[in-house]
Amino acid sequence: MIDTVPPAFIFIAGAVVLPLLRERRLRQVLQLLIPSLAFIDLLYMGQGTYWNYHFLGYELIFGRVDKLSLCFGYVFVIMAFLGMVYALNLREVGQHVAAFLYIGSTLGVTFAGDLFTLFAFWEIMALSSVFLVWYQRDIAALNAGFRYIMVHLFGGCVLLAGIIIHVVNTGSTHFGFIEFGGLASQLILLGFIINAAVPPFHAWLSDAYPEATVTGSVFLTAFTTKSAVYVLLRAFPGVELLIWLGAIMAVYGVVYAVLENDIRRLLAYHIISQVGYMVCGVGLGSEMAINGSTAHAFCHILYKALLFMGAAAVIQVTGKRKLTELQGSNLYKKMPICLSLYMIGAFSISAVPLFNGFVSKTMVVAAAGELHRPIIHLLLHLASIGTFLHTGLKLPYGTWFGRAPEGEHKEEIEATEPPLNMLIAMGMAAFLCILTGCYPQILYRILPYPVHYQPYTSFNVVAMMQLLLLTAAAFWLYIEKLGGEPTISVDTDWFYRKPGLLLLWFCIHPLQNLRFGLQRSLAGMVASATSLSKNPILLPEIAIRFIHLKVINGFYHISGLSEDKLDTLKDLESRITELRKMTYNENIYRRPIGLGILLVIILLFFYGLIYYIRLR
Amino acid sequence: MAKTLKYIFFIGIGLSMLCGVFFRPEHPHFWWEKIPAFDAIFGFLGCILIVVGSKALGHHWLQKDEDYYSD
Repeated sequence: MIDTVPPAFIFIAGAVVLPLLRERRLRQVLQLLIPSLAFIDLLYMGQGTYWNYHFLGYELIFGRVDKLSLCFGYVFVIMAFLGMVYALNLREVGQHVAAFLYIGSTLGVTFAGDLFTLFAFWEIMALSSVFLVWYQRDIAALNAGFRYIMVHLFGGCVLLAGIIIHVVNTGSTHFGFIEFGGLASQLILLGFIINAAVPPFHAWLSDAYPEATVTGSVFLTAFTTKSAVYVLLRAFPGVELLIWLGAIMAVYGVVYAVLENDIRRLLAYHIISQVGYMVCGVGLGSEMAINGSTAHAFCHILYKALLFMGAAAVIQVTGKRKLTELQGSNLYKKMPICLSLYMIGAFSISAVPLFNGFVSKTMVVAAAGELHRPIIHLLLHLASIGTFLHTGLKLPYGTWFGRAPEGEHKEEIEATEPPLNMLIAMGMAAFLCILTGCYPQILYRILPYPVHYQPYTSFNVVAMMQLLLLTAAAFWLYIEKLGGEPTISVDTDWFYRKPGLLLLWFCIHPLQNLRFGLQRSLAGMVASATSLSKNPILLPEIAIRFIHLKVINGFYHISGLSEDKLDTLKDLESRITELRKMTYNENIYRRPIGLGILLVIILLFFYGLIYYIRLR
Repeated sequence: MAKTLKYIFFIGIGLSMLCGVFFRPEHPHFWWEKIPAFDAIFGFLGCILIVVGSKALGHHWLQKDEDYYSD
């Protein structure tokens, strides 16, 4: 028996070692070695609970290994390998380090057996992933990254609050099934569903993922939302609320995908839609639904990565990311391999038979049927239509075949196939999509419960083909309407972006003015205090003259001004100005005792006075 | 090429309809699962609903200029 280590630590160690290697080849070897090591580690990890550490009176558990966590662990590590192959040609070490930390912390979440370990890895996950956005190094990415991290930190705070209340109430830090009811469980659920991108807390995803780097977005699609699905499966199976949130979410993503012009944002909305199936499965809570959710998370990671790899490859070689910019570029002639591999991902997400979406998505839908949920069943069906319509038809048509509008001449876009490593990564992902689609038993064997579901019944296959073919027919009818439009769609991020701009305006204008005003008046006070302190001996005289001036001024204003009264006022004013200009000169102010001694005596007098009063 | 694809497409639709008549679910959960070609009708109408509904939502409410947030 080989001693295993927490897989999270393998990746985190990789993140530490990677920047120390100077040779690029060595780094590339390590990039592939780390996920491979982690996979072997997973294979040898027996089920059970281990790596318990005592810390500040609490027990931290780094390895709670059962079928559910192992299934997610496998797909996360496979995804890490695919993503690293895809990113192999990238020279920026920082991105790889961020990716390793991100993957490591996700695995930490997956195998965490207690709430504190979970929370710690949860936060590392948010912090490391934002760098995959920021490495894009443009202003849009910077801003989107800040919004992303703020939403996640908010979610983290909510989660922490829930955890603390939970621990205080139950006295246990164990992470397992949580009874949905009190405040603690509601806060924990909210923290989880923010990461699962459940509307209305989903806008961070469609906001930040399309702004990330070419390779970063591929990693981002896999880990955050799916680890959230995992913790939901662990803690909240059977919560009625999640059924509805999931089903609405599945349709919500589809609606926005119709309107989207940015190809990666369109795919990002389909992550939301697909995660909707999983969340719905969590809510349904039956063994079949839990299996369905887990299987769908597994398949989704593979095909979504493939789709993002395809879209990101187009962006990498053309530098263009919008359907309206790609129209008329005839890319299908220039990158046919990329297109074919993308289409395998598109067929998978659309649940075409023999591709992996079919064996997992239909399981969730069937679970809804088995539990007699007609509306949920229909909503999920509707979302399937939208999925095929966009990722299977609109996006590939618009990107690779799109014709420029009549009368508008488009300049040729230079494009070739993406680098070989990218194609290899896509090829491996496509292979896995087809493999699990054709031999679903590979996947079904590692699901948490025994699977009695049979996807390839003649009815299932025929029904799915009818659905997809007629969707394609309707797409044909609306093909002109479905081209990209150069717009953006407001989403729930409006609620923090627009008020955010308002807050910015408030800071720049009213608050800034208030600051300047205060500063000016305080500075004026300091300046006059400075000039007055040049000759303190004249202070009483100046004060008396000043009061005199003010009083006379007041009287004159009441009784009415005249020429000579004004002259008197001016005269008085100039006297004060003259006095203020006089500096202290010992020869002018000869006093029996020196000024210093006088001040000391005055001070002593007051000191004595206070002392006397206190004594009494 | 395009023509052949079109034919394959129409043949596919016809074939799936035909198969739909013969292959019925063993345990239908809902009444609509007993209708042959329900999925075809649902797919066609659902797709139209999604396109028309979303576009209407977008044009009347959600879609804004690209510099909407940057002013």
